[in-house]
Amino acid sequence: MDNLKDYKDIWVFTEIKDHEEVNNCALEILGKAREIADELNQELVAIVLAYEAEKYLSIITEYGVDKIIYISHLDLKHYHEQFFTNLIYELIEKYKPSIFLFPSTEASNALSARLAYRCRTGLVNSVLNLELGGEKGDDLLLTDKPAYGGNVSVKIICPKTRPQMCTITTGIFKKKELKKENVEIIEENYHSDKSKIKIKIIGAPTRKDKPTALLSDAKFVIGGGQGIGSKENFEKLYILADYTNGQVGGTRRPILNGWMPEHLQIGISGESIKPNLYLALGISGAIQHVVGITDSDTIIAINTDPNASIFKTSDYCVIGDAKEIVDGLLKLLEKD
Amino acid sequence: MLKIFVLIKQVPKTDNLQINLKTGALIRNKIDNIINPDDIFALEFALTIREKYGGVITAMTMGPSQAESSLREALAMGIDHVIHISDPIFSYSDTLQTTLVLKETFEKIKSYDVIITGSVTLDSGTGQVPYQLSEALQIPLITDIFIFEFEKDKFKCQRNFGHESQDIEVNLPVIIRIGKHFNKPRHIPLSGIKKAFEKKIEIMDFNLLNCPDEIDGCNKSPTQVIKTDKLVHKRKNEFIKGSIKEKIQRIFDIMKEHGIEKRWMQKK
Repeated sequence: MDNLKDYKDIWVFTEIKDHEEVNNCALEILGKAREIADELNQELVAIVLAYEAEKYLSIITEYGVDKIIYISHLDLKHYHEQFFTNLIYELIEKYKPSIFLFPSTEASNALSARLAYRCRTGLVNSVLNLELGGEKGDDLLLTDKPAYGGNVSVKIICPKTRPQMCTITTGIFKKKELKKENVEIIEENYHSDKSKIKIKIIGAPTRKDKPTALLSDAKFVIGGGQGIGSKENFEKLYILADYTNGQVGGTRRPILNGWMPEHLQIGISGESIKPNLYLALGISGAIQHVVGITDSDTIIAINTDPNASIFKTSDYCVIGDAKEIVDGLLKLLEKD
Repeated sequence: MLKIFVLIKQVPKTDNLQINLKTGALIRNKIDNIINPDDIFALEFALTIREKYGGVITAMTMGPSQAESSLREALAMGIDHVIHISDPIFSYSDTLQTTLVLKETFEKIKSYDVIITGSVTLDSGTGQVPYQLSEALQIPLITDIFIFEFEKDKFKCQRNFGHESQDIEVNLPVIIRIGKHFNKPRHIPLSGIKKAFEKKIEIMDFNLLNCPDEIDGCNKSPTQVIKTDKLVHKRKNEFIKGSIKEKIQRIFDIMKEHGIEKRWMQKK
């Protein structure tokens, strides 16, 4: 590694999602990265690799960047492990950023892991918080991330190598609109060696749009646990979801009981959700479930046991029978 | 005959995990260690390939001496051979250091066709090793496959990639990362348990692997953990009081406050 002092500026990989728009999480990260850049008196740089990359640049300039470095080429329409890794690795070698932040998406998780290996540097994934540590003006980044299945938060530093790299999940930071004067735009050249492509795509790929109602994207999630009592009662959660445009999910128990299909499991071996509201019905609150719901804006829990641990992780706690409450809510919705 | 390798990790079972809040360390003697749950799908996938195409499966893990029990479990499932990569120097390796050790291991093994991994480990949860190993060995990594076949020295499959479904083809060797619930892992047969204890575990340590200076566990890991805290999720914890009717009404109001309204419903 060269002298650490040679590395400066904060980079954000502003991923272009489905060759259609700038990834929202990347814009969120720019807000936090701006604060860090100001504290260090360094530049905030957005990195864009896309087909017709120019069309995304004006949006990115709305979020506080000092500079954009971009590469535009048809080969960059989709994430490609070799093209993206090679090109960005060259940019890192040329410009030497101190900090490089990525949205936590399928493509960026892959890309950042590959780049970290090539740079022989550290990568912290799914970061919950970022701040500068050490002396004033020191670029050492302190990052918090969950570990052991969400039971603990660990603070990680990467003191001896650069760039310091992180991936950040959606919703951790808030987007901040800020237009800087004279944003510098740099276009770098595209080049690739196609003879070295390892994965051959046979035939035209089919676009597979994700199902419209993804549990992880739902705004309202109705979660059921053992306390729902029966398959018949569990069916009522689907009716409630139908009325409210919500999504049903649950713990491991209803799957084992045959009340709910496996893909609707929320928690450590299932989906993580981040709805505006999560209604936890008859759920005791085992940690395996709770780790999947912590990003919910508001949680209402209903349980007959006043000591149920789900209450500790809820905003509103209701002692009562989940079934009775579902019936009551359905009645109110019918009248509404 | 396919030479199949499966990477597994032993991790602490995370329910009832106890943490020393002063030091942030796990209270180890109270923990059950298990094969990382995602890795079980990788083991099952290897067994499926062997059944269909023939081959020899080697499971390997990197970890302290107690990780041996996870290798025995893999043998009991029907895996042919196991390798235990273990040396005090390797302890507290981060993902980069782990990848570098695995690179040395595969360079020593020399001949491999398929390397199978799970998605994410339960303890550190980085999911980075498959990608980094792909860089280190300069061989492709394929994720999220759903239909596959081996044809001579090629692996063909359909995979989900971004918002596309692709038909792809790669030359072996290849790394395949298996998703959660890709298959239904088999139960361990009783006969397997006996066999598991008859087989020899191959140990690979620092000297045997002839590791370069670049490898030095926690000393040369770029990332360092400086603090561990119990993760607390701050919530309002307001108990809603009153009759059942009042409770239901209050929940209904909170739903409305969150923009959840009745929508026009289609008759089913």
